[in-house]
Amino acid sequence: MTIFQSKKPAPYTIVVGCGRLGANLANTLSDQGKNVLILDRNKASFRKLSSSFGGLTLEGDGTDLDVLKEAGIPQANTVVAVTNNDNVNIMIAQMARELFQVGRVISRLYDPERECVYRELGVDTICPAVLSANEIDKLLGKPGAAGNEANAS
Amino acid sequence: MKRSVLLVGGRSKAKALAQSLLQKGYQVTAVNAALEDCQKLAENGKLSVIHGDGTKPYVLEDAGAGRMDMAIALTPRDEDNLVICQLCKKRFQVKKTVALLSDPQKTEFFYKMGIDSVVCAISAVTSIIEQQAFVEEMAKAIPIGAGRVQMLEIPITASDPVTGKQVWEIDLPKEVIIGCILRGDRNLVPRGDTRILAGDVLVLISGSNREAAAVRALKGDSKWRS
Repeated sequence: MTIFQSKKPAPYTIVVGCGRLGANLANTLSDQGKNVLILDRNKASFRKLSSSFGGLTLEGDGTDLDVLKEAGIPQANTVVAVTNNDNVNIMIAQMARELFQVGRVISRLYDPERECVYRELGVDTICPAVLSANEIDKLLGKPGAAGNEANAS
Repeated sequence: MKRSVLLVGGRSKAKALAQSLLQKGYQVTAVNAALEDCQKLAENGKLSVIHGDGTKPYVLEDAGAGRMDMAIALTPRDEDNLVICQLCKKRFQVKKTVALLSDPQKTEFFYKMGIDSVVCAISAVTSIIEQQAFVEEMAKAIPIGAGRVQMLEIPITASDPVTGKQVWEIDLPKEVIIGCILRGDRNLVPRGDTRILAGDVLVLISGSNREAAAVRALKGDSKWRS
């Protein structure tokens, strides 16, 4: 009986950057029935969202404090910074963490070398290059789809 | 040993700053992501120039960030300046970092993130323009402590409401004090019973944004209404 559940504020996620990753993530969260807002400075980016996307969209610069406030960042539980610029992601993550005390902050970094900036801040980073390398490494240890000579014995 | 300074980004700003620092005897290295700007900077023979993106750790390493005494980030993008300064501070242990900032709202945030000195061009320019606009009211205003405190020099004329009053009678805002009175060629340190005369020049020390209220208290309302 869901009616009698205590009323907690629903978890709220802000995704900054509506690229392939941002749009995909927003679609997934929205499909799971979670509250999500996606922010991008270019309105045309929102066409990447699926037609069933049930969250909010906001056009604006994610590094602007007023825009973040308009996006409701003080209420957000999670902020995901996935714009195509590492430095923008770093700055947004730090603003979310330090100025708005957002509980969970995740950001994408193309260049893993800059990670030291984040480490002491409690910001989680995702690095596509490192993830891909790990996956490829894993695949190399496994029999390939076509069957390779590694297990030809 | 020569003190060394790293300048990252910025075209004409970097060039002018480098020139002035070199003249003062600093050792200066400039990093710039645009080849064209690098060539421009390299016209100055004493300046070492590195071509590369200063937000990348290996470029900063090439530029010798590890042995710098000071790093100054001058790119037009706030996020780049933040990252440059943080990398210099955390990875290369540069003692002093200075960042140029275009969005005045982020000043406090930048200080919070450990940058030693934040220079916001927009606030600096607007405050200078503001000062110039009121130059008839105030001979001089000197910002101290990143603009948190101002020292003002205010000439008092016979028509001002405070003329002839004692210092204790003046209703100055709490954050403002009269530090000194210049009368003729004498300097008085004011006490409560010091009387203010026409022709005095008051030196005020004022907390941020209280200057207008202070001048209003000294010179009356009307002059600040326009």
